[in-house]
Amino acid sequence: MSQQSLNAPGNGPEESGDDSEIVTGGQTFASAQAADDLLDEIDSVLESNAETFVRSFVQKGGQ
Amino acid sequence: MKRRVGGLETEFGLVCVRADGSRALEPEAAARELFRPVVAMGRSSNVFLGNAARLYLDVGSHPEYATAECDDWWELVAQDRAGERIFAELTAQANERLAADGQDARIHLLKNNVDSAGNAFGSHENFLVDRRGEFTRLPRYLLPFLVTRQIITGAGGVVRPQQPVGAGPAAAAPAAAADAAPEPAQFVFSRRSDHMWEAVSSATTRTRPIINTRDEPHGDPTRFRRLHVIVGDSTMSEVSTHLRFATTDLVLRAIESGRALPELSLHDDISAIRAVARDLSGSAPIPLSHGGTTTAIEVQQRWLDHVTPLADESEQQVLETWQKGIDAVRTGDRSWAATHLDWAIKERLFQQVTERRGIELGDPAIERLDLAYHDIDPAHGIFHTLQRRGLAPATLPEERIEAARTTAPTTTRAHLRGQVVTTATQHGVDHVVDWTTMRLTRPGSMPVQVLDPFTTALPAVDDLLAQIRDLGTESGPGPAPAPFA
Repeated sequence: MSQQSLNAPGNGPEESGDDSEIVTGGQTFASAQAADDLLDEIDSVLESNAETFVRSFVQKGGQ
Repeated sequence: MKRRVGGLETEFGLVCVRADGSRALEPEAAARELFRPVVAMGRSSNVFLGNAARLYLDVGSHPEYATAECDDWWELVAQDRAGERIFAELTAQANERLAADGQDARIHLLKNNVDSAGNAFGSHENFLVDRRGEFTRLPRYLLPFLVTRQIITGAGGVVRPQQPVGAGPAAAAPAAAADAAPEPAQFVFSRRSDHMWEAVSSATTRTRPIINTRDEPHGDPTRFRRLHVIVGDSTMSEVSTHLRFATTDLVLRAIESGRALPELSLHDDISAIRAVARDLSGSAPIPLSHGGTTTAIEVQQRWLDHVTPLADESEQQVLETWQKGIDAVRTGDRSWAATHLDWAIKERLFQQVTERRGIELGDPAIERLDLAYHDIDPAHGIFHTLQRRGLAPATLPEERIEAARTTAPTTTRAHLRGQVVTTATQHGVDHVVDWTTMRLTRPGSMPVQVLDPFTTALPAVDDLLAQIRDLGTESGPGPAPAPFA
């Protein structure tokens, strides 16, 4: 493990995470498309018995 | 202390469902299936791993992972992430066994804090503090910080009317006030706030406190004690998890410095923590104990300003990130927070999904989405989906998280434990370890105790390692395999 990775985990989100904030030209379209893709992916989780799943998740409390 | 050891304990939620969402296995049976490889390895559901972490099954069938001692908060985040990976691997294996067995059953492990019946479980932060410091004086300064830090590091979520609030004196639940109209479902910084019943106590499950006083130093009790903070949400974002430790460490350092401190004692910590959770503006007045009011933003800003002179070069990034978090609440501009902090990532996500589907925040689909956000399955968990799209932070390099699955932190006592567990496992030598003690399970074997968590080398441990190699069934160490991989 390098010293660099120990102390400076880098700026991942700054470099890669802000696409959706860019509102210029083609980027807007790309980011709107990305948002739609994301929501499509989420739909597939939510459409499979969301309420039944939620009710199934009952466990004794922890700490 | 300038150098401080800390660790994070995460209790996971566990559910095993059929394809139609109905329950396939009770939590006890699902946990048994999940822990099969653990029991096969350690003959117990409570083991220490080669990365010096503890992996076990806790009260209420909650799988739990406790990171090794860390003195660097990014290392702690890496160790915590490694624990998620290890449990995700165990979950995948259990699901393969269930499928091979022809069962319509799939286990989900959720790094969250509350089930659908309102039972809560935790994410516990441990900080080493000096025994000589006045522990009784600490909460007075630390509590206002802990009550309000959820505006930065809360996991976000939705509270619903008539939702049961689990353990604790139910009559005191804020939503159950006799004449009040039911609250509509609303987005909050932290749902765990509703599960806090006391400021400071030794209780853990029934009347959960913000600071737990169970005195388990896991070290020399004449020098150290443990500060056990159990108010935190389980955070998926590495930025959020890092801030929980890095900011609390700075505040503790300021308290220990003996200098004058911000006097912000709140009139009622528990009323305040629930009000702060619900006030997304961060600017509602909170009564102070000596009259007057403050706000969540003010408490956080006062502490940030106060600790700024104490931060060293390596901590400048912490100060900047903390300020960005405060500003996101103060200004309402979420553009940074919505891709970095759990509560704001969720706030945006829930807004998009409610709009798209034409549903309210109280809809079960949103509760399902919240659970999916905390699902540690790297392929299907929604946090991971967001991460792949650059909509949630992936701060740590992948190699570093992978390394943390097998390698203990090198700058604390964990380094010694990690070497002993790894070497003993490679050589097939039976051993028993806990946080302070290591020994071989054979007659006449002397335990080696390490009471200083900053110790990274010890002749007695070298002797123990030599003994393991002599006894070993293998000729030499191979590469350390990932646990249960």
